[in-house]
Amino acid sequence: MDSVELHVPPDVAYVGLTRLIVTRAARQAGMDEVRVEDLKIAVSEATTQAILDRERRGGAEPIALTFGASGGRFEVTVHGAGEHVGVASTPIAGDWPDDGSLGVTVIEGLTDEVQLVRRDGDRVDMKVSVRLDANGGRSADR
Amino acid sequence: MELSLHHRTEGDHTVLDVGGEVDVYTAPKLRERLVELVGEGHYNLVVDMTKVEFLDSTGLGVLVGGLKRVRAHEGTLALVCNQERILKIFRITGLTKVFPIHDSLEEALQGQS
Repeated sequence: MDSVELHVPPDVAYVGLTRLIVTRAARQAGMDEVRVEDLKIAVSEATTQAILDRERRGGAEPIALTFGASGGRFEVTVHGAGEHVGVASTPIAGDWPDDGSLGVTVIEGLTDEVQLVRRDGDRVDMKVSVRLDANGGRSADR
Repeated sequence: MELSLHHRTEGDHTVLDVGGEVDVYTAPKLRERLVELVGEGHYNLVVDMTKVEFLDSTGLGVLVGGLKRVRAHEGTLALVCNQERILKIFRITGLTKVFPIHDSLEEALQGQS
């Protein structure tokens, strides 16, 4: 499957659209439905973080995502996910962290791998990877 | 992507039926409704999520906020949820230890009595 690049305005109204498009691509790549649901949440979390980061910084540039299947996995990169994105502390039982870190906890819990790559300045790209099926290893590359 | 919210009274409880997708775009609407309900004196809430099609951490945050509000009035907030794809996110975040989560509305209403 070729890699796809998607640009959406930095507006929370578009988070649903990114879920729709990325999960459609994942299904097309052969991902099983359970994993698609996991990916859906992960994409929502990552895109949300990127948009909220833009809002905090007053940025207007679109959110860019690249995604596609490779080697039995589906990978999604949210470019410029936010300078504050990071690993949350242990799951909460009372205090709710409002810095977006819980979104990363969720992403880590639902995907097979999360990479945070710091680029120019404070830009951080978040790359998540999900196996195409729960048993792993099936490649749906076309 | 629409969010539907309807509330009704069941005995001593107020049931809030939530349907559709709860994310950063729609969650404010849910938050507003929970704030309204608590403001109107509804302190024993059951949020029925059986028709929720999507929920992420933004939605969880709103529910946590609702729980805090009712607790300030010694109230309760229970959830009805039987969808694994929604329950999974509660487990990952540890919120299964925070919210009473029931398989059915009947169970939730009995459990809250």
